[in-house]
Amino acid sequence: MKTLLSFACLLLAVMFSTQTAVADIAKPKTPDQPSKVVLRRNLEIVPDGKVWSARLQLTQSDLQELRAAIDAAGGQPGVAASIAQSPVRTIIAGLLLFLSVSFAGIWLTRTSAASRARKAIAAGILVVAVLGAAAIITRGNAGPPPGYHNWMKLSKNFAQGRATSGDMIIEIVPDEPNRAPGVKLLVPYNPKQSGDE
Amino acid sequence: MERSAELGIAQWRAARQQRAEINLRSFVLTLGISVLAAAVLATWLPLQVSIITVFLFAGPHNWFEFRYFLMRLPVRFGKSRNFFVTAFAGIAILTVTYVSLPFIYQTAFWVNETGLIVLATWNTLLLAWLAVLIRLRAKQKRTADWSWTTPLLLALAALNWLGPEFFSLAIVYAHPLVALWFLDRQLKRTRPAWVSAYRRCLWALPVIVGVLIWHLSQTSPLGDDNGLFWRITQHSGAQLLPQVSSHLLVSVHLFLEMLHYGVWIVALPLVGTGFWRFEASQKRLPRTALLVIGLVGVAILWIGFATNYTATRDLYFTIAIAHVLAEAPFLLKTL
Repeated sequence: MKTLLSFACLLLAVMFSTQTAVADIAKPKTPDQPSKVVLRRNLEIVPDGKVWSARLQLTQSDLQELRAAIDAAGGQPGVAASIAQSPVRTIIAGLLLFLSVSFAGIWLTRTSAASRARKAIAAGILVVAVLGAAAIITRGNAGPPPGYHNWMKLSKNFAQGRATSGDMIIEIVPDEPNRAPGVKLLVPYNPKQSGDE
Repeated sequence: MERSAELGIAQWRAARQQRAEINLRSFVLTLGISVLAAAVLATWLPLQVSIITVFLFAGPHNWFEFRYFLMRLPVRFGKSRNFFVTAFAGIAILTVTYVSLPFIYQTAFWVNETGLIVLATWNTLLLAWLAVLIRLRAKQKRTADWSWTTPLLLALAALNWLGPEFFSLAIVYAHPLVALWFLDRQLKRTRPAWVSAYRRCLWALPVIVGVLIWHLSQTSPLGDDNGLFWRITQHSGAQLLPQVSSHLLVSVHLFLEMLHYGVWIVALPLVGTGFWRFEASQKRLPRTALLVIGLVGVAILWIGFATNYTATRDLYFTIAIAHVLAEAPFLLKTL
């Protein structure tokens, strides 16, 4: 009885402290309109002495695909974009995956004389777990994307009059009244890696 | 005298074996023709055939399934009491929550993410219920080791949390295949000689689905300007998989659905002995009464389809989750 009473008091204290803590949190800001990634392509930046104005060259097929992607972006995101966008779902998926691998390990250990079928099932679960973990780690942005290092050589290549190509995504950003009209190209830049220090 | 009797028995055995071979050949031939016909129809006019198929067979297939489950239900639960109580409680709770989800979505004004979390929670509850059922069944059948299902179900639950909508779509595509498993178990009970031929025929299924995918992957999407056509394409996952041709999605789903209906309405009543013998169940009034109520339900469904096809289709596919859930415990009982 005493233990039960202590537990109830503790629970009440925790609940009260949670309420107090929530009361201290600032009012959430209204979220800005998010930008939408619609297409991923390779971008090549070429220094050219014959042109007097910057040109963005797109192939006919890419333009059609871009148009279709923009139309689609108005409705639903793509398959890859719709997988585990939220941290809550990613955390629960990770936890369940951890439990799955743990139980698979226990099961495999218990069945020491495992048959081929059992080994196949265990291998299947392990593959699913590895793929899932890889997906979760990728969502966690474990390292820079492959095209990153190519862009680090941009200024050096540019100085030498050489072309640089790397991964590029086309992003549709919402209109802003204070923003200058035009196309903006954001290129990864790190003074240490670019040798511009 | 004795020799002539032996000859008579040998002739009778030979005739019986010949009859059995003819029956098996007819079974395989019928199966092959039906599967090919379903694939051709599903590819040719997917939307139109889908409307006709659901109209004609959705209700009757539920009635046949219900009849089959009543046939397989023991008169007294005995040691299986916990198993059946868990099964029926799970079916009731999961059906009620699933049916209430659209109403909650409409009234709660959730953002998309909250809706996905609720859907993932429902899917997780479904997997947890399956895990409990498997555990209870494993207790009854101590010779089989089903402990491998725990990590598998946990891995499925993890994938569900990564993409709850894709998990639900996977259920839509996987559910028709469960009927083929039921047929396999039934053949093993009543026509064991046909099992190996049937399993060999099943190998054709991934080949046919592969051909459908190869043939339809480059086709233009189906016109979904009409409200009903839009619902059919959405049910097949066109909204979730915008990169995949809706023609392909509807055709593959319709093909699997036709197999599902074929198994429940034609194959299982034919191979299941005593399927049409009602006298055995007439002694138990509740079962007969339930079957009559089921027939009335089928008639109401037809009237509903004739009056307002689109609304009845939506309502049917929401309530039909009950029969999807009911298949799990009965399949586990056959294993």
